[in-house]
Amino acid sequence: MSLLSPTAPVTTTSRLAALKVPPTVQLSFVVIALVIAWSVAPGLFTSHSPINGVPADKLLGPSAAHWFGTDHLGRDLYARVVHGTSSSVSSALIAVVIAAVAGGLIGLLAGFFGGWVDIVLARLVDVLLAIPHFLLAVIIVTALGFDTTNAAIATGISAVAVFARVMRAEVIKTRQAVFVEASFLLGGSRWHILLRHVLPNASRSVLPLAVLQFGLSILVIASLAFLGYGDPPPASDWGLLISIGKDYLKWPWLVYAPAFVTIGTVLSLNRISRWLRQTD
Amino acid sequence: MNNAYAAFAARRLVQALVVILLAYVFTFVVVSILPGDPITNVLRDPQNGFSEDEIRQIIAAQGLDQPVLVQLWTSLTRFLTGDFGLSMRSSRPVGTLIAEVLPSTLILASSGFAVALVLATGIAYGTQLVPKRYGQGLLRGFPSLFLSVPNFVIGLVLIHLFGFQLGLFRVIAPNSFWATVFAAIALGIPVSAQIAEVLIANLDHERAQDYAAVARSRGLGPFRLFARHLLKPSSLPVVTIIALTLGELLGGSLITETVFGRTGIGSLVQRSVSTQDLPVLQAVVSLAAVVFVLVNLLADLVYPLLDPRVKLVGAASRRPTTADDGASQAVTP
Amino acid sequence: MASPNRLIATPRRDDIEAPSLQPATPLLRVDALSVSYGRQQVVSDVSFALSRGQSLALIGESGSGKSTIARAVLRLLPNGGHATGRITFDGRDVLELSERRFRPLRGRAIGFVPQDPGNALNPVRSIGAQAMEAAALLDEPDDRVRKQRILETFAQVGLDHPQRVCDSYPHQLSGGMLQRVLIGLAVLPRPALLVADEPTSALDVTIQKRILDLLTRLQSELDISLLLITHDLAIAAERADALVVLKDGVIQEAGRTAAIFASPRSAYARELQADVPALNPDRYRALRDPGFRRREAGATAKIEVRAVTKTFAVDGRTLTAVDNVSFAVPAGTTHALVGESGSGKTTTIRLLLGLETPDSGTISVAGEQLSGRSPATLRAAWRHLQLIYQNPFTSLDPTWTVEKLVREPLDRFGIGTRKARNAQVRQSLADVGLGEHLLARKPGALSGGQRQRVAIARALVLRPDVIVLDEPTSALDVTVQADIVEVLLSLQANLGLTYVFVSHDLALVRQLAHTVSVMHRGRIVEHGSVGEIFDHPQQPYTRSLLASIPSGTTGRVSPSRPRAVVTADAPG
Repeated sequence: MSLLSPTAPVTTTSRLAALKVPPTVQLSFVVIALVIAWSVAPGLFTSHSPINGVPADKLLGPSAAHWFGTDHLGRDLYARVVHGTSSSVSSALIAVVIAAVAGGLIGLLAGFFGGWVDIVLARLVDVLLAIPHFLLAVIIVTALGFDTTNAAIATGISAVAVFARVMRAEVIKTRQAVFVEASFLLGGSRWHILLRHVLPNASRSVLPLAVLQFGLSILVIASLAFLGYGDPPPASDWGLLISIGKDYLKWPWLVYAPAFVTIGTVLSLNRISRWLRQTD
Repeated sequence: MNNAYAAFAARRLVQALVVILLAYVFTFVVVSILPGDPITNVLRDPQNGFSEDEIRQIIAAQGLDQPVLVQLWTSLTRFLTGDFGLSMRSSRPVGTLIAEVLPSTLILASSGFAVALVLATGIAYGTQLVPKRYGQGLLRGFPSLFLSVPNFVIGLVLIHLFGFQLGLFRVIAPNSFWATVFAAIALGIPVSAQIAEVLIANLDHERAQDYAAVARSRGLGPFRLFARHLLKPSSLPVVTIIALTLGELLGGSLITETVFGRTGIGSLVQRSVSTQDLPVLQAVVSLAAVVFVLVNLLADLVYPLLDPRVKLVGAASRRPTTADDGASQAVTP
Repeated sequence: MASPNRLIATPRRDDIEAPSLQPATPLLRVDALSVSYGRQQVVSDVSFALSRGQSLALIGESGSGKSTIARAVLRLLPNGGHATGRITFDGRDVLELSERRFRPLRGRAIGFVPQDPGNALNPVRSIGAQAMEAAALLDEPDDRVRKQRILETFAQVGLDHPQRVCDSYPHQLSGGMLQRVLIGLAVLPRPALLVADEPTSALDVTIQKRILDLLTRLQSELDISLLLITHDLAIAAERADALVVLKDGVIQEAGRTAAIFASPRSAYARELQADVPALNPDRYRALRDPGFRRREAGATAKIEVRAVTKTFAVDGRTLTAVDNVSFAVPAGTTHALVGESGSGKTTTIRLLLGLETPDSGTISVAGEQLSGRSPATLRAAWRHLQLIYQNPFTSLDPTWTVEKLVREPLDRFGIGTRKARNAQVRQSLADVGLGEHLLARKPGALSGGQRQRVAIARALVLRPDVIVLDEPTSALDVTVQADIVEVLLSLQANLGLTYVFVSHDLALVRQLAHTVSVMHRGRIVEHGSVGEIFDHPQQPYTRSLLASIPSGTTGRVSPSRPRAVVTADAPG
């Protein structure tokens, strides 16, 4: 029936239009590229030290010399943000990898095998969903000990359920697809169908989710750092910078500058995720 | 319908109870068995000044010398009777500690929820009624923006602008009216984004359906189309989303209470985390799970009653089996 | 019938002087209409006119822009659609009017009947509530009178229990009833023009005919002009005074139905006419004859289905999907299973393939029992027994290339060396008329017809004896369908394949089958050779199915003319 539907030409055009990357998505990619560059080679972007400050220059406002101003110890805030990027980004990456691999596997098994496997795994996922995910991250990081890597692991575990649910739904949808039965009739075994047909098709919706979750993980890890559950100073994770800045609200750039960088990064990731979902 | 609904309700109820029990066990495993021995660490902390004898008494009183499974069993049976044990730090009943701070969190969470609901519906319905050239795109951008801002930043910005610059409230009086209002806004904004996203997606989906075009072909204008056709089918599924955002409210209040210096469940958790007060953490997390599961159960039970499209599995179909009955050829006007 | 001076549809190039030919201004007049989405133009320079009380059909395949034109007339183009040119309705320029000024025309002056009745009513509101919206367009302030008019109209469109229909939600009614409701709502405010966008393509064949009869009857009773959008040339020929044939958004031919039908001038209209099965029952005689000869020569039965029954438990009740079904197919011939949705034809072929297990009865293919076998032996049977699915848009994995897709069965069954397999893949693609340049493509980059050819090549690559075809062309356009049917029949002629062909399209079955079983509610009500079934049907149900084939008789079907319609299932 899709051939006859009046919207057929519309979807064709929107596909064509989608191949061109919209300007906001281009901008988002530029932002993410910059953030990645900051985390790989922070030294290329600033000559100031993130750890040693000039006490005489403390709490200066943003200027040409200090783009984001300086903090209470006279350290250049831009340098601290740039040097803190690596830790903020890589910990979010750890979290997403944990969540996507563990959640993806749970969802794949539950969706494909069904029956008891599904019932058991579904209840496990329900449990993970039942505990508010930030509270879950907090108690896990408490059990593991306070540092940024543990915060990343905790964030990852708290997001397992999200991936498991999406993956399970996609697997069930794919498993019922006509081409899966076709492969069965063409002699395909269960494992062949699982690995070659179901997994590649079901994974297509996981990529946009992973990008979205990458942004959310940055936020959750920043929140944990804000509460003091990450690496202690002089580390300069974005959340920690904001947390330090809150004690100096008279000099608001100490909060606004790292917050602006965090928001810009997460917003870009959200935009890219939405674009991936649309183009599929 | 009634039999099917009863069966459905019974199944969901059992499921919910199983999840609550499992959530308790899961929390117990996380807080008691994972690396380190926080209990003896806390007790031996010289600041606490317990003697060896006292430590041994406390350990025996808490049943900490028992095998883990026995500990789990005692703790679970007590939990089911409403006894959450004693705080490791203050030796006061955990139930009392929670009861003391609960009202403040309830006020914050419910007003935060109200903010979220008003914002979300305002934004989502706005995207349908505001024409493109009057800023519909801007409205559509809000949820994404709200989701990208850490909620402690929202709190800090509100404190900076309205507390410091405008002097609307004082940070040292966190329970004053205005301080509560702004805390609720900080808490509600990220939650509103989730509700608004789903609502907008539903509205756009319904608007693209054939029936919307057919309704327009009957001469309906944009407002009537929205109010009579799109509002109900797109808002009904949000009932279940709202229940899911409850977790966000609880998690968010942890941060918001810290930012605004309020006492509440959040600050209790924070204090217990820093002092590794495990019985309190166990109780708070388990209770959060109970509340979450029950609210979602309620949403799932109510939803089929609201939405005529939902056909419960096992319910008798009322669709006629003949292809075109009711049609007769010999009709004259 | 229209007199010659009421020429209603002419292509743009002749149309410049046309107004002088027409004493009365037409009700609807489209001049040089173009519609584009972004940079893609989907309708180019289309002009036609429709007079009061007349009917005009826009005909075309998918992508022809016919529905877009209908939506442009109603100004209901989806977001991003932009129309230029002029559409004059009752003297007013539709495209020039502001939305606020145009809105009163919708419903009141121009009614709309959509394609898929299942999605055309709001699922969470009762039919009565939605009917009140249409009744609000009447110049009638009293709610009770409005309600009365709704009930009258529902009775007029053939709904037996108007009040019960009003109280229902859309999901409680069948597709045919919903379409009657929608037609009722469209004619309730007595519009001057009714735009019907493929009003029957989502419905079963016997219901299609009743709905079309209803539209024709209402049109003459209420003196409404009808703009009918359809892909079916035979339906258009029966129901419209004038035709506009479209391809890729451009008019190929336009004029009086009888004239076009008698001697189509454009190549596309000729192709369309030649490809419509209902109009060309003997088109594939040469390709089909070898099968008839095999049958007459007493070829052994390749497939034997004996007394097979299958029941399902649905909602706590037992539903007999297949009830004591038996048939046999001689080797090298085509057996058609014909029936409407819910007749059990799909379940029958799933039983035949071993995808479902029968409750009782036996199935044998090539002399080997198929029922009650283990998965491993079934798998061995599938080397010789393949299935082509209805919808090539869902039967090919979108993440695989054509080469991998066609090679999959060879890889799975471990046939031949890698080199030999690749050669077989190319051979198989050549058999269905596809070039090697497609090997690296994914299904998303193929047209519907190409996809179905890939699916056929994939089934052929195992060199099976029997191919089960589950409505293999119903998702495709009629010209593409003709290509696919030709491919299938030449393969049968060359390779001696045995086909089981499942379809609801009797005209198509008549073109290609050797023997036919007519299924109704899980039973075979009649079976025989294609000649027996089509020329001398014995059962009333078969006759009603045959009567629903559009005859392609030009000129409007007169509603008053008595027609030999026997409905087997109609309660009254």
